[in-house]
Amino acid sequence: MPIEKRSVTRFELLMDAGAGAQKAGDILLEAFVAMGKFIYVEPMIPAEISPAARTRYALSGIIIRLADFDINNIGNDTDLILASQEVVLGRRLDDHEFNARCQILLDAGDRDKSPATYDAVIERCAKEGLIVTTFDIDPASKQIIADMSGKGTNLYYLGMLSFIYNMDENTVKFEIEKNLGKKLDPEVMKINITLYLNGYQMAKTRDFLRYQVDASPRQYDKILIDGNTALSLGIIDAGFKLYSGYPITPASSVMHTLAKELPHYGGRTHQAEDEIAAIGTAIGAYFGGVPSITGTSGPGFSLKQEFIGFAQAAEIPIVVLNVQRGGPSTGMPTRTEQSDLLAAIYGTHGDATKIVISVSNIIDCFYAPHVARYLAEKLRLPVIIMSDFQTANSYKVISRPQVVQLDNIDNIPDFILERFHLKRLAAHIETVRPLQTIPGTPDGMRRVTGLNTDAQGQVSTSAQESQRSHRVRNNKVNHVRQSLDKPTVFGPATNDILVVGWGSTSGAIEEAVSLAQKQGLGVSGMSLQIIYPLPLMLKEMFSHYKKIVSVEIAYGDANKLPPLASLLRADTLVDIQPLIATATGRPIRPKDVLAKVKEVLK
Amino acid sequence: MTPQENIIPQNPSPVTVKDLNTENPRWCGGCGDFSILACLKRFIVERQLRPESVVNISGIGCSGRAPNYLNTYGIHSIHGRPITVALGLALTRPDLHLFIHSGDGDSMSIGGNHLMHGINRNFNCVFLMYDNEIYALTKNQTSPTTRKGHRTNTQPFGSYLSPLNPLTVALGLGSSFVASTADWIPDHLMSTLSAAFDHPGFSFVHICQRCVHFDIENFDTKTSSWFSFLKHPNGISPDKRLADKSECLDHDPTNLNDAFKYAAADRRYFGLFYVNRDKPRYDNILQNLVAGSPKKDRGKLLDPYSI
Repeated sequence: MPIEKRSVTRFELLMDAGAGAQKAGDILLEAFVAMGKFIYVEPMIPAEISPAARTRYALSGIIIRLADFDINNIGNDTDLILASQEVVLGRRLDDHEFNARCQILLDAGDRDKSPATYDAVIERCAKEGLIVTTFDIDPASKQIIADMSGKGTNLYYLGMLSFIYNMDENTVKFEIEKNLGKKLDPEVMKINITLYLNGYQMAKTRDFLRYQVDASPRQYDKILIDGNTALSLGIIDAGFKLYSGYPITPASSVMHTLAKELPHYGGRTHQAEDEIAAIGTAIGAYFGGVPSITGTSGPGFSLKQEFIGFAQAAEIPIVVLNVQRGGPSTGMPTRTEQSDLLAAIYGTHGDATKIVISVSNIIDCFYAPHVARYLAEKLRLPVIIMSDFQTANSYKVISRPQVVQLDNIDNIPDFILERFHLKRLAAHIETVRPLQTIPGTPDGMRRVTGLNTDAQGQVSTSAQESQRSHRVRNNKVNHVRQSLDKPTVFGPATNDILVVGWGSTSGAIEEAVSLAQKQGLGVSGMSLQIIYPLPLMLKEMFSHYKKIVSVEIAYGDANKLPPLASLLRADTLVDIQPLIATATGRPIRPKDVLAKVKEVLK
Repeated sequence: MTPQENIIPQNPSPVTVKDLNTENPRWCGGCGDFSILACLKRFIVERQLRPESVVNISGIGCSGRAPNYLNTYGIHSIHGRPITVALGLALTRPDLHLFIHSGDGDSMSIGGNHLMHGINRNFNCVFLMYDNEIYALTKNQTSPTTRKGHRTNTQPFGSYLSPLNPLTVALGLGSSFVASTADWIPDHLMSTLSAAFDHPGFSFVHICQRCVHFDIENFDTKTSSWFSFLKHPNGISPDKRLADKSECLDHDPTNLNDAFKYAAADRRYFGLFYVNRDKPRYDNILQNLVAGSPKKDRGKLLDPYSI
């Protein structure tokens, strides 16, 4: 079978939870990177711990997008699926993320367990026009796997995929040894290598479609990292000394990383009794002058709102990380959504004065904590960092970001502020109470309260003092608004249509704009980093486009504006319509953006 | 911002009660809170605690206003959550003296979860539970410690349930220090503050507190026949003014069974019910973890992710 050359392609390895699909994928992607290829990876994680094998809930796997150019999203459709059995395959087909010519390699080993189910899935693939090729693991390897109580199948599949993607046998073998060498004893290691080689050889004997992505190996200082790990390390680099959280998906992995790492850098991680306690403890520590952050996801974000309001009133800095997931309520903990935007901006009762920062990619994740800390301490207001499931869990290889070891916030480098389109704030920013000493400062004794106070900190219900407090707090937000530069624009500053997004949709928008431009379409894109307050020149920027549309992973329809469109309309009085406003839990695809743009341009 | 530790002036002038005054408290005339506030000021002066190293942390309610009336550092936080805020300081600023002020609604109702974990974490602070057996600042509603049958705005036919007993709750949660006192016996309150302050850990101090506005009948402050003092060389001395008039019982505060017996009795006992100086402290554990972890170079933070 000839090898198809591709500039970009995507494939998936699907197995039962716990069978090692992600491990096999991680080894393969490191081999890709060693060969100079670009990758973007999304693990598929079940919502349960150990769902029974051969159930729809057991779907676990890895999606790898492979390209000869740098990519910032998980892309469009899948060109190849390797599935360990028909049940997880059937479940994944429901998401309709395969392209018309998708090649499906199905391990037929489970055929006899449920012939009816097996035949139904095969029939379904035929109906969808997919090419299904079944295969059997060779008998010798089957015996090895049986002897290892079912383990090692993932290494066999790794061998098959290595051949299909035209990887040198030894390059991948080297990565296996690098990845597993420390953990496995030499005998088990040998068996794993045998399974890998057997898979590779078996694939050679079959006429599977093969793919080749050309790229030359490049020497650069690179790291492999996911969004939540980048955020965790950014928290350390930004000088935070306390992380206070409560277990919740998909934010928990930040707490896991910091529980291990923070003590080595003079900080501590506190697992609180609940979400409210977690933010309360971070606020207490920050009152004591110790940079502190709390992290959570949707439901926990709702619980923290009263304390977020308290921090505004008491003028205690605090940084809150919200790794969004599907909502409302418990929603979909392991799927992505951007529906918490307005809760982040307007949440808490009473007038909300806070800053909301979003992360569009993994490097943003690393530097968002620096900017958040700078703004929180400078303004003595809450700063919210908005990530989401997709950004948190996706990983790729990036050029190593510069570590800055921030201690005093005034030393934050310009390049970090510029990344978030922010100019350095004025040296002095008025606070409701001029005295902002920390405990331990002699003659600086002061009390803070959630009650309204006068400038001396005395509790006050006076009309003038109430209005003044509101004005001073809102002026802090205005300082940021005045200091915001133009947000990131993909494509020309004047065009037929502008597609606006924030957070994890930015990568898909950027790619869609690039595709559209190649097709001669008048499409530009915009990604907002600091999403509240919005920059002052936004309305003027919008005036250079005939039409402005939003793309967001949040529900919208003819009668309901999604959050970003609502926010932008309120701010600019421009008739912004949602181009895509879906809450499927799946990332937005560049090709969907492109197709919708074409409809609008017609 | 970095904590400015140990920047106490070389020869500070002695702290006086006057130094600790802020504005005149806005509680009702005759409220038991005045007495608690006065005792705490006297205690700070007696021990010569530097006002800049004291932080008073409160929740919401009449007791929540206390930090505003003490010229130390203070956080008047939100309803039920002062323990969580105090913990943040305990974990990061062990140089500070923490006093938590929390009412019966604040600590036993909306903040019950935090009380449970504050006691279990046993971080170093003095926890003052102002128990007036009523929601007062919100205007006369039933609290978890309101006696059964007492009429309130929310249970106008008489409060439905038997009250929760803060002392058995604290003992049951494994508290390392449980004492009870009352606002109208200032000598005993002072001795209790002293013992609580010297105890390393979460010192649970229950204070019977008069509410002159909504319930003048719950505590008979004129007579002393209805309560007894628990005494022991390692405990809290009976109130000097009442020692001769009241029953004083010997109670070894390391005896948990007897502590439960006195705490659960129909009769009131004031004194030190229980103390355990060996209970591990979460604040110490985390501080030791940080101190004992080999230091890593922040400059090499990303090295392990290099491929």
